[in-house]
Amino acid sequence: MKFEGRKYVILSIFILIGILYAFKLFYMQVIDDTWKLRAQKIAEKRREITPPRAIVFDRDGKKVVSNKTYYNLMMVEKNIDHLDTLAFSKLIGWTVQEVKDRFIAIVKGEGTYYNRHSGKTTSNYQKRRAYPFIKELSAEEISRIAPHLENFKGFYEEVSSMRHYPYANGANILGYLSEVTQPEIDNDKFYKPGGRIGRSGIERYYESQFRGEKGVKYIVTSAMNNTIGSFEDGKYDTIAKQSPPIQLGLDVLLQSYGEKLLKNKKGCIVAIEPNSGEILAMVSSPNYDPNLLVGNRKIRKNYPGLLKNKDKPLFPRPLASEYMPGSTFKLIQSLIGMQEGVITKNSGFPCNKSMVGCHDHPSARNVAEAVKMSCNPYYYAVVRRIIEQGKKSSSFKDAEIGLNVWAKYMRSFGLGKRLNADITGIRSGLIPDSKYYDKWYGHNKWKFSTIRSISIGQGEVQLTPLQLANVAAIIANRGWYYTPHFVKSIGDQGPLERFTVKHKTMVDPVHFTSVIEGMKSVVHDQGGTARKAYIDGITVCGKTGTVENYIGKIKQPNHSAFIAFAPMNNPKISISVFIENAGGGGGTWAAPIASLMIEHYLTGEVKSIEKEKRILDARLPISK
Amino acid sequence: MRQNQSLTGSIDWPLVLVYVLLLTMGVSTVYSVAYTPEHPSIFDFSQKYGKQMMWIGVSLFLGCCVFLINSDIYRKFALPIYLSVIALLVVVLFMPPVNGARAWLGIGSMGIQPAEFAKIGTAIILARSLSSMNLNQQSVKTVVIANAIILLPMALILLQPDAGTFVVFTSFLFVLYREGLSYDPIIRPLLRLIPIRALHFKQTWIGSHFIPILFVVIFLSITTLLISNETITLRMFPGEEIPGYWGMLFFLALFCLAAYFCMRFVFSKRDRKRALFIAIIGFFLAAVLTSIVNYSFQKLAGHQKERIELVLGLRHDPDGDDYNRNRAMAAVGSGGMFGKGYQNAIVSSLKTNHVPESETDFIFCPYAEEWGFMGTFVLVGLYLFMILRIVFIAERQKSSFNRIYAYAVAMILFYHFTINIGMSIEFAPVIGIPLPFFSYGGSSMMSFSIMMFVLLKLDSQRGDVLN
Repeated sequence: MKFEGRKYVILSIFILIGILYAFKLFYMQVIDDTWKLRAQKIAEKRREITPPRAIVFDRDGKKVVSNKTYYNLMMVEKNIDHLDTLAFSKLIGWTVQEVKDRFIAIVKGEGTYYNRHSGKTTSNYQKRRAYPFIKELSAEEISRIAPHLENFKGFYEEVSSMRHYPYANGANILGYLSEVTQPEIDNDKFYKPGGRIGRSGIERYYESQFRGEKGVKYIVTSAMNNTIGSFEDGKYDTIAKQSPPIQLGLDVLLQSYGEKLLKNKKGCIVAIEPNSGEILAMVSSPNYDPNLLVGNRKIRKNYPGLLKNKDKPLFPRPLASEYMPGSTFKLIQSLIGMQEGVITKNSGFPCNKSMVGCHDHPSARNVAEAVKMSCNPYYYAVVRRIIEQGKKSSSFKDAEIGLNVWAKYMRSFGLGKRLNADITGIRSGLIPDSKYYDKWYGHNKWKFSTIRSISIGQGEVQLTPLQLANVAAIIANRGWYYTPHFVKSIGDQGPLERFTVKHKTMVDPVHFTSVIEGMKSVVHDQGGTARKAYIDGITVCGKTGTVENYIGKIKQPNHSAFIAFAPMNNPKISISVFIENAGGGGGTWAAPIASLMIEHYLTGEVKSIEKEKRILDARLPISK
Repeated sequence: MRQNQSLTGSIDWPLVLVYVLLLTMGVSTVYSVAYTPEHPSIFDFSQKYGKQMMWIGVSLFLGCCVFLINSDIYRKFALPIYLSVIALLVVVLFMPPVNGARAWLGIGSMGIQPAEFAKIGTAIILARSLSSMNLNQQSVKTVVIANAIILLPMALILLQPDAGTFVVFTSFLFVLYREGLSYDPIIRPLLRLIPIRALHFKQTWIGSHFIPILFVVIFLSITTLLISNETITLRMFPGEEIPGYWGMLFFLALFCLAAYFCMRFVFSKRDRKRALFIAIIGFFLAAVLTSIVNYSFQKLAGHQKERIELVLGLRHDPDGDDYNRNRAMAAVGSGGMFGKGYQNAIVSSLKTNHVPESETDFIFCPYAEEWGFMGTFVLVGLYLFMILRIVFIAERQKSSFNRIYAYAVAMILFYHFTINIGMSIEFAPVIGIPLPFFSYGGSSMMSFSIMMFVLLKLDSQRGDVLN
């Protein structure tokens, strides 16, 4: 053959291509990972499964927070076929314009993507992807829509779950959920756009427990974005874990009763179980139904109103409202005085109204009587002795030392500092010390007479109702407390560790006896300030407070305050009640409310019908 | 008895073995990719794998028929065979279009694609006519006939249109090259028209070495396209943007200059003048070619230009225009060293449908995804072996008819292999042609099998005839 050599040209082309292809395949399949990652991106989807949030029970096992099924109306534009907009808008109860606007809003909501290479800006919106057309439809709403959806191709329903509160109570405790914000998504991989996060209350505080553990499912998706099946039979999947049930120390019936009592009043009730620190009830009035803030639709509808309401129903009064404690403060003053040794339980002081005013009553001959009659001059004298102990010749310097000792005692009662309870929004109140007054008046420019109002719980002193209830718990315990808290147990874990640490006050248990004796007399004896707190068969120990308050210089109706615990021996409940601008003294409003709460909690029913009726009928403050 | 012996005794068993292997691998891949749990049987004719089994059966039956017929008839009836496939190609143009092309003859899924069979017809007539030509004395007539045989079906196929098969027909140029056909009878008279004596060659290198030239042309064209959109800035002339094409010309000139000096060194003194001449002509031709490519590329409509840029990798649009190739490469690349396992293809499974046509034109994807590099290496090896074996068979033929036919078969298979696999590994543009013996489809299965059996039959009777 003449052209024998050409055989080799052709053969070398064949072999060259063979080698080239083998090398390219080796590079693509074995060395380079680009296409493996690309394949994963194309065909494998990582679906995160968010478990339902934790179910919450009260102390008796009543469900207070659960999850309720709701529905999203989904749409896939690619599957929509000649949508009859008029019929569709009629079905979902919208106007035709609203339906059109919603389509535009969905596309806009997806944002755009700028292709650097082609210089084109394209929408992230994809016609073949599913988007929620209406979110959070109730079962009733969807049952009206769903049967007709077959006439509207491209629309279908999707099940999801949302919070539900069987008792419309304790909104200030439980808090609410809302959609996560972009910074939250950036900070924590758990959250994805459209997800929910605890916004207040224990939902917020225990967010990391309540949300549970996400499950991950790797699925294979088709080019049409349909799910084909699990990837490698679910080898890499993890199961979503719902948080174990949460048990609260809350008594939901007591909470509900408290909210009923405070209807048409401004104020709060905090009840604590003294020997555990568990919060039994925490009423903030005015209140709102927690079901009002479930889901975006309702939040959008109801939240602005709640926020703008001048009575501030969203404001957690028991945690964040700082009131002057008034005469309830005298209990701690007595204890500090005895511990400091400036008085004994048998010290008596005359009720001379030269320095502070008082009501008419016989002079107190001992601590118990002083508590019973709430004698202002008595405590003026006691606190003067605490502050002016004569350790320094200058009364200014002496007061500085004395005040700081006094403030230290106060802190050991959990006052003037934030109680580290398991809820957000707690404020510290105020126990002034020398630094505080130095700033106010200047160093060495103040002495006891300058600051004497603090002796009767007025002036600069401020306490939150939670702190005051804790004081009642301390007295009930004769000198110690557990930090008040809501969560009794997560699953069978028990409460957080810090709630099992006993905090002891600086006052010796022996000094509590006479104070408690006095508190008993307040309720039980002739001449006590809170006779309205009396309950048949239960020894209630209490102390009233009538808090003078001003807005600017204008005197407002007094706050009515009361703290108590019961029974006297082996106390089961300690309580603080604050009724803003009630007008009457502590014994008029706060004391009977406290006693009704105690009666309800200890006996499970309320026999004091008259007392209850008077409270339920009252509208406070009395409108002018 | 003798007849019986020759029926089986002189069959080229290695080729048969590779054929059977590819057939088995192919149908098992179709079974894997199109598997539906409701129809688990591979003989379920309602499913693609069942149909493919049927096509294999039909093909093997046709193969037996081929073996029972004396191989003489191909030579004798080459022209009628060719004319009948041409007739089919004409008839098919009057059929209703399927997917935008009038490629199908017949009803529904049972139709055939005449273009597939046209390859066999063309191969046979080419073998017949080239073998009867005296290639030592080529004339305008021989060149025209040889090329007309190829161009006629090509033109008809372009009318369908079927770009893939159209491209495959250029494989016959390699056969012409192998047989020593030269375009000189056409080029020389044309050169004579130019009144420069030096151009009146006795023979042109281009005319006979058109296949190497073809590669040079492809190389130059691609380089030109790659550089066409670029601009060069020189430090000497800041701010001046020079089109990339000027750079191309500069390098061509440099190359020709270097070639000239090399030739001077090699050539005898007498031929030195010629060296300069060759260098100048080379540069001139290359410059004309690149100018044309550059100019037409710049004048192309936007979408056509984008299309070319996509193929060259100058533009990326993985979810748009480049969807097919991108998905195919993801499927192949994700196979890894050992693959995802049989029936475990994800990207290229028919269920996910990320890779389109993964049972037909893109069947290499599920195979590569399931068997990994181990599988693809074996597959490339098998095809290479098959093609080289056919060349080996071709070269042992005493009859030039047999040799030419065998080369045509080798070239057709090589084209299909190169383009089909190449489009999944970005070595070839996405042109829809089947992978021989692998892809689902009756026409390609039957036509490739007949092609193969005719070759085997011719080879088994190679001792009988001399031509």
